[in-house]
Amino acid sequence: MEMPVFVIPIIILFVIWYLSFSATRLDRLHQRVETSWANLDAILQRRASLALELTHFPETDPAANLLLTSAAHHARAADISERSEAESALTGALLLLRQESWLVAKYPDLFEELDQLTERLRVGIALHVEGVSAARARRSKLIYRVFRLAGKAPLPVKYAFEDDSLVEVQR
Amino acid sequence: MKIGLISPYAWDVPGGVQAHIRDLAYHYLDQGHEISVLAPASDESSIVENFVVSAGRPVAIPYNGAVARVLFGPVAASRVRQWVAGGDFDVLHLHEPAIPSLSLLACSIAEGPLVGTFHAAAPRQKVTFAIAPFLEPVIEKLRARIAVSEIARETLRIHLDTDAVVIPNGISADFYQRAEANPAWSRELTIGFIGRFSEPRKGLNILLEALPKIALVLPDVRLLIAGPGDGMEAMESVNPALRSRIRFLGRIDDDAKASFLKSVSVYVAPNTGGESFGIILTEAMASGVPIVASDIPAFSQLLEDGKYGLLFENENSSDLADKIIRVLKDQDLAQRYSQLGRDHAARFDWNQVGDEIMNVYLHARGEDEKVTLLSEARPWSRLFTRAEEE
Repeated sequence: MEMPVFVIPIIILFVIWYLSFSATRLDRLHQRVETSWANLDAILQRRASLALELTHFPETDPAANLLLTSAAHHARAADISERSEAESALTGALLLLRQESWLVAKYPDLFEELDQLTERLRVGIALHVEGVSAARARRSKLIYRVFRLAGKAPLPVKYAFEDDSLVEVQR
Repeated sequence: MKIGLISPYAWDVPGGVQAHIRDLAYHYLDQGHEISVLAPASDESSIVENFVVSAGRPVAIPYNGAVARVLFGPVAASRVRQWVAGGDFDVLHLHEPAIPSLSLLACSIAEGPLVGTFHAAAPRQKVTFAIAPFLEPVIEKLRARIAVSEIARETLRIHLDTDAVVIPNGISADFYQRAEANPAWSRELTIGFIGRFSEPRKGLNILLEALPKIALVLPDVRLLIAGPGDGMEAMESVNPALRSRIRFLGRIDDDAKASFLKSVSVYVAPNTGGESFGIILTEAMASGVPIVASDIPAFSQLLEDGKYGLLFENENSSDLADKIIRVLKDQDLAQRYSQLGRDHAARFDWNQVGDEIMNVYLHARGEDEKVTLLSEARPWSRLFTRAEEE
């Protein structure tokens, strides 16, 4: 079958359009992951400093203090690959304090902020995880790999935060 | 924060999505946010809220067992573009962005902090499969997705292969709690039903079929039905001897609805399907009336498998009659459901739901980010605007 000559540039134009369209889609997903990570990170930082504030109470025992201080510093210093582990440790330490109802009754403001942060974290983690899996799924497609449409953008890191223990902090 | 809300359905036609948007708008206005709502409207002069902008006259299409009044096309698209460009929004909250209407248009036109709420729960539909490849790149732009129930979330996962955060619809729990009973409606042994009863999926016929069996045990039983529709037509199937026990109130407003729920002895929701949330049940819970509802997924989830109300087997009028008789005869049981429901309703109050949605907004938005038109980002459009400026 003979193809008319004018079809060839149309096909080429279409391929170019499709590649640019696909690259834009991926770029948007990367942007979504970056935004959600920046927001998540801000909340996590706030939580770590809140945890450090809690260590200033005269009522908390030295052991809990030490645990909390080291967990908070760890969480702040950890790089992204160790981050979820460090944050989970902080969640565990905060959970211990959150269960002391007399302490909660004494400092209602701080613990209310902690509860609010926990709620925001829960949403933030869900959205971030969703964005990361969407971006990774897209990058794994053939056309993205063959044409290297991801460019030099780093592969989004899966953040395995323990969602369940967070919910317990609130209760 | 400057928030733009978009309704896919006509503003001047009552509906769950519109009510949700209106209440959310008022809630955030009270908190000091700036709100603008874009919606189709058949009659612009009927819009009372000053924050609502009309995008034009909707067209009626059949959808999910009902008629949906939606709006699309080039004229609508240009209205959306204008509204987005002039709005300077921090967040754009699109309702039902998978339906061919304003939200979908906005989603394809705008870029930035976009949040979408999915209300509908629909079984697998061939037509959605057909358009999914076109829908996916558009829906993908949403920074965050909200589903109003687990069923809506599941629908989203099946049809569009994306996950969502579940945040229920909101109510003003206080409004329903404080309402006064209407003496004309409150008598013992009164069954209440609210809804567009001419739609088969609302299940009124199942309740009417259950009535003879209830009347055998409780001869003084009464049935109050509120909602738009032709009562005479619905009555035709009813035994003439029982007709005197049924009263149609026609469409009632929110105040009347609150006192209706306060007045009746049991609220019955015999819906046969197509529901994704069941806002009326949360309102009934808030007002403290015991509930008997069909065990469709949305209701089972909302009532936590019967913890907050009695469930009957869907489309089984005999089972429905048994459950109604049980609640009407057992005062302790009714009292217990009433108390449990009132406590549970706080979970659906706007104070709670509004904060949760605000959390999602905050997560969807980068620092100092604004909603922009997609076309602004394209190199050739930038070239054009520069040429215009010069």
